[in-house]
Amino acid sequence: MEKAAGRGSRPVAAVQMQIAKSVILIAGIALSSPLWVHAQQSQAPNQDQATSAASPNDIDGETMFATSCGFCHQGGGRATGKGPKLAGTTRSDDYLAERIRKGKPGTMPAFGSAFSESQLMAIVAYIRTLED
Amino acid sequence: MVIRARYITACAVLALAAVTVAPPASAIDPARLQAAEQTPNDWLTYHGGYKSYHYSALDQINASNVNNLAVAWIHMPGRSTRGLQSMPLAADGVLYYSGSYSRVYALDGATGKPIWSYFPELDEELVAMQTHSPYNRGVALGDDKVFVGTVDGRLIALDMKTGKQAWDTKLVDSKKLTVGFTGAPLVVKDTVIIGSQGGEWTSRGPIFGVDVKTGKKKWEFLTVAGTEDAKATWGNESWRTGGGGGWMPGGYDSETNTIWWGTANPAPLYDWSGADWQKSGPRPGTNLYTSSVIALDPDTGKLKFYHQELPHDAWDFDSAVGEFLMIDRDGRKLVVHPNKGGFIFVYDRANAKVQNVWRIAKNINFVKDIDPKTGELVGRRDLSLGAVSPPLCPAIPGGISWNSGSYSPKTGLWYKIAQEWCQEMEVVKTTPITEPMSQLNIGANFKLVAPPDGPARGHLSARDPVTGDKKWEVTFSEPPLASVLATGGNLVFVPDARGVLRAYNAETGKELWSHNNGVGHNGGIISYSAGGKQYIAVPVGWGAMVADEYSGLFGEPYKSMPKDAGALVVFTLKQQ
Repeated sequence: MEKAAGRGSRPVAAVQMQIAKSVILIAGIALSSPLWVHAQQSQAPNQDQATSAASPNDIDGETMFATSCGFCHQGGGRATGKGPKLAGTTRSDDYLAERIRKGKPGTMPAFGSAFSESQLMAIVAYIRTLED
Repeated sequence: MVIRARYITACAVLALAAVTVAPPASAIDPARLQAAEQTPNDWLTYHGGYKSYHYSALDQINASNVNNLAVAWIHMPGRSTRGLQSMPLAADGVLYYSGSYSRVYALDGATGKPIWSYFPELDEELVAMQTHSPYNRGVALGDDKVFVGTVDGRLIALDMKTGKQAWDTKLVDSKKLTVGFTGAPLVVKDTVIIGSQGGEWTSRGPIFGVDVKTGKKKWEFLTVAGTEDAKATWGNESWRTGGGGGWMPGGYDSETNTIWWGTANPAPLYDWSGADWQKSGPRPGTNLYTSSVIALDPDTGKLKFYHQELPHDAWDFDSAVGEFLMIDRDGRKLVVHPNKGGFIFVYDRANAKVQNVWRIAKNINFVKDIDPKTGELVGRRDLSLGAVSPPLCPAIPGGISWNSGSYSPKTGLWYKIAQEWCQEMEVVKTTPITEPMSQLNIGANFKLVAPPDGPARGHLSARDPVTGDKKWEVTFSEPPLASVLATGGNLVFVPDARGVLRAYNAETGKELWSHNNGVGHNGGIISYSAGGKQYIAVPVGWGAMVADEYSGLFGEPYKSMPKDAGALVVFTLKQQ
């Protein structure tokens, strides 16, 4: 069985993550709010627009990971579970984002219509904070 | 040579006579379903009958000749994404089963020759967005139809003889709610009952009653806040974040006209409110009717009574297992139900009053105990934000999984698999999910680890189902994830995780026979008779939600095990 990396080094990772979260938060709101609203409109035309605006939590990659991704990518992405370990991945940001959008038939669902682009990039940024 | 030729001719005449005098296939009517446990040539419902015995009284294959058991035929369904998880059914020598994507097959039970097949057209774009998909866990028979649910929210009826579609009813807006149907339906009189997936999603986990003839929906029961009383148990309107569902078929008590159904957990799975869960956190309150056993009127869907096994389930140890073993003991009419937390509940069939609770898993620390007289949780371990120490036991796959044990009226023993593992975890506060087509709502990061008393493992034990008294136990280095079959031949069959089908002496637990099917088992197993011969049918194929944990936890052979292979392998005795 593979050992989970990172338990011992969590304080460092946590500090990095806080920095990453702040950057993502600002960048996400500044750059991507229109995309988020657009995504919501396309999937839920009857939805009240007031509830569709991005809140800070919506683009918190760490929280989103624990909500929907940690079920398979265990230890917050630091360990192999149902899905592969993500800490230290050599895949590019584009590859990771595309995999989240489209999934992998039979093993990983496609999240392209569930997450906005800014949420998706926040998850990728969270994965980048994980220490191998 | 002459003698031999005469002998062969005589045998042929006898065989022809046997075929000629075989009783004609009769309709699958309510009386026949009710008597399923008394007709061992068939296997008519998911649980082998309304009483969930999962037992075959056939004894042609038995402890003294099981060494002669060999493969009779194999059927390859193809496109077995995430393995083959269904429980086959058999009626009048014909075998019916489903594969991934709700594909249904009818085969000659003696030869495996295809009679018909049915491939529903699914919303593939939706399937690609689902986590618990595209597997199917079984079909139901009734009114001379075969019923199957789909992951895109439909219940379909097929003509039993031709496989032609009789009706197709959309019950759940899966595009909006993510969930659909993976479990087998249950037919009771003129109603086919099926529960939707649930647990981790915003859906309110409906269970449906549908007219067998027309496909028209008769009733719908919401397992999340299905009554006004229940709604009051979800503070801050948290019922909107959903959960629940009843994704495995339950049992039926004809004496009281009551169906028993198990319900899944509330969402999010994990909760950060600690001991203050009645007032704070993501879903304050007991969250009825999640993680409960509910008793419904099959004709109306009205709730008769219930017992919530885990009030405010904060651990994803739900009650969705559909095994409701109905036995009578000392004048008491009882029902035995396994809970995912590793406890076995024994109820009075009249009112779901707790008669006993016993533990089948050894490593449990989410509660100190459950009161065997009242069912009350003693010493709850409610979680707070951050790291959970020591690790939570059992781990998320549970002390038991969704597959069924088997009860032999001949030995009086219940044969049941349990699991030993724990999980390191960190609870994370999530944003409430009420949006359409949302994904899982978990609320924690976690990782499976070995329990305190040894390696992660599983065990099959033979027990008194009411007291839990153990007669024997066999340990497996990895928990078997398929159902178990006890037979009148004093045998217990266990399809294991590595792909080996094993037969044990039902009285002693001694292993008598094994056969390697080549890939892990994660479905059902039945026995039936065709042309006067007894057969054992077992679906083979690996890759479900719990199975997916094995690669990380146990390494090989699971790292290399295919998750898209499937076959139905059928055994009978070799000719002597």
